[in-house]
Amino acid sequence: MVAQNIVFGVLAVAMGLAAIRVVTTKNVVHAALYLVVVLAGVAALYILLAAEFIAVVQVIIYIGAIVLLILFGTMLTRAPIGRASDLDNDQRWLGVVVALLLLGVMGSVLADAFGSTKLPKAPQIQRTGDVGLSIFQTYVVPFEVVSVLLLAALVGAVVIARRD
Amino acid sequence: MPSLVAAAFEAPYLDYAALAPEIVLTGVLLAVLVVDLFVDEDRKAVVAQLAGVGLLASLLPVVFLAVDGDDRSMFSGAYVVDDFALVFKALFLVSGYVVLLMSTDHIEEGDYWKGEYSFLLLSSLLGMVVMSSARDLLTIFVALELLSIPAYMLAGWRKRDLRSNEAALKYYLLGVLSSAVMLYGMSLVFGATGTTVLEDIARELGGDASEPLVALGIFFIVVGFAFKVSAVPFHFWAPDTYEGAPLPVTAFLSVASKAAGFVALLELIFMGFFGQDNVWQPLFWVLAVLTMTVGNLVALRQTNIVRLLAYSSVAQAGYMLVPFAVGGSSDEAAGTAQTAVIVYLLIYAAMNLGAFAIVMTVARRTRSGEISSYGGLFTYAPGLTVLMTIFVFSLAGIPPFGGWFAKFYIFKSAVDAGTGWALALAVVAGVNSVIALFYYAGVAREMWMQPVPGDDRTPIRVPPALGAALGITAVAVMAIGVYPQAFARLGDLAQLAVR
Repeated sequence: MVAQNIVFGVLAVAMGLAAIRVVTTKNVVHAALYLVVVLAGVAALYILLAAEFIAVVQVIIYIGAIVLLILFGTMLTRAPIGRASDLDNDQRWLGVVVALLLLGVMGSVLADAFGSTKLPKAPQIQRTGDVGLSIFQTYVVPFEVVSVLLLAALVGAVVIARRD
Repeated sequence: MPSLVAAAFEAPYLDYAALAPEIVLTGVLLAVLVVDLFVDEDRKAVVAQLAGVGLLASLLPVVFLAVDGDDRSMFSGAYVVDDFALVFKALFLVSGYVVLLMSTDHIEEGDYWKGEYSFLLLSSLLGMVVMSSARDLLTIFVALELLSIPAYMLAGWRKRDLRSNEAALKYYLLGVLSSAVMLYGMSLVFGATGTTVLEDIARELGGDASEPLVALGIFFIVVGFAFKVSAVPFHFWAPDTYEGAPLPVTAFLSVASKAAGFVALLELIFMGFFGQDNVWQPLFWVLAVLTMTVGNLVALRQTNIVRLLAYSSVAQAGYMLVPFAVGGSSDEAAGTAQTAVIVYLLIYAAMNLGAFAIVMTVARRTRSGEISSYGGLFTYAPGLTVLMTIFVFSLAGIPPFGGWFAKFYIFKSAVDAGTGWALALAVVAGVNSVIALFYYAGVAREMWMQPVPGDDRTPIRVPPALGAALGITAVAVMAIGVYPQAFARLGDLAQLAVR
């Protein structure tokens, strides 16, 4: 388990630094790219936990779709792409306090609940096949509901976005 | 090395009879979307009619299931069709139909996307119908998203109106924030119990004192739903969204969307987290006191009828939170509390939809939402005045209209619980009912006693669809007020099975 712990440490430090840069950098595009590092780190953590399917989904959706959307949005709306000085919000110190408070509460609660839990020696592999089976067995109703949800979101987005 | 080959697929047990309302509704909303493509712009009313007939058609299987009377359960208790589910499915479908009736002329006259409007309204309703049966964290979350996302877009349906844009944006941003908070809470509860099915969660948690993880999970989930039902201090989106959104959408949000939030809370609190009342009872106590008091005090100062109804609906949500704050002490208290919330939701739907139907009818002529524009309404629209008086007095809780009975049940649940905190809550609710009377009576005074502004007494033409909506809601409010026992029985029947 030593190797896993070392990899986790490296990933955690990299993600923490990148996350701080996301909110401190003066350039929107750089912020989006730092976000890629954070999200890729999350995907790597999933792989470390042998949850391959979620790792792939994380890469496809968060990096592939959401960050790309942010970048395209920046490009198409002619937002300032270079250094911008007005990115900071007046209430950022309040934000820092709230964020630290949340970190403290959630961190201590999670440490209290799972602090003494050990990962199993032979990692329990979550097979992609099992995820597929549970989607079409236990969770078939939510799955069908999501398909209607996507259709509704698509139709609504077209109406809201189109010029008329 | 564990095998990477998954087990063979076994088809899950699907009870198609139990799923019939959802299947019919899905079929109808797809039909609406396709038919809309082939209908000329000047004949779009056909699409709305199709949607209306479809809603009534999906009410049929609900009635059959109710007559049949069996409780049906699928996916080891994750999706259940029992009396609770059926009562709320019927409520959502009927109030959806009333909203559709209210929309007919409004949407026809504004330059809207009519076919897509009906489609999105139906998809939101499908989310609510699924919510009534959901007994599983994941299903509840997905249903909540399906009912919210079309609603975000409907709130911004007047695309060229800045206030409508603001309404949609505020609703959307606060909505997704609350969804995120709630989902995090759900993940904590899942982490503590290892299951998403509410019954199993209750069994895992038991009645022991909660560990911090579970307490934080429940806290986040309740906060998430507090946004959805616009409880103070999470209500900031409500007045702006209600004022900016098209009026039928406002009626829909303040009734159906809010009811769906309460349905989810009932399921979560009284099934999943029942033994953990030391966590949620104090939380609901604070929420209920704040919501009632702030809602009513701010409503006192409103001069716009839509904002007045918005704050009044915040305050009404406060009354509905009272039973949650007193329902955890015993199975009996939980039963009374559930009946109180269910009865209140049914009656609130009728009276609030009715009030909005009147506001829409009057706004068609006066083009104004100011309360002063209701001056002397009685002299030129006596019928509407009488109906509006019934609706506002019902909202205030004056007999013999339905609302008094709903309030009576709220007080009964608090007094039955009998603890000092519960009685204090009952006193707060009582004081608030008196405050509320001031602004509800203010509207009535304006209509009956004030002079007509501008002395324009041309009568108001009520379009047939709006008239039908008014008729349905008025009959419901009167019937409940005069014969409340039937509704109490409905509320008793529909209690969730707490174990």
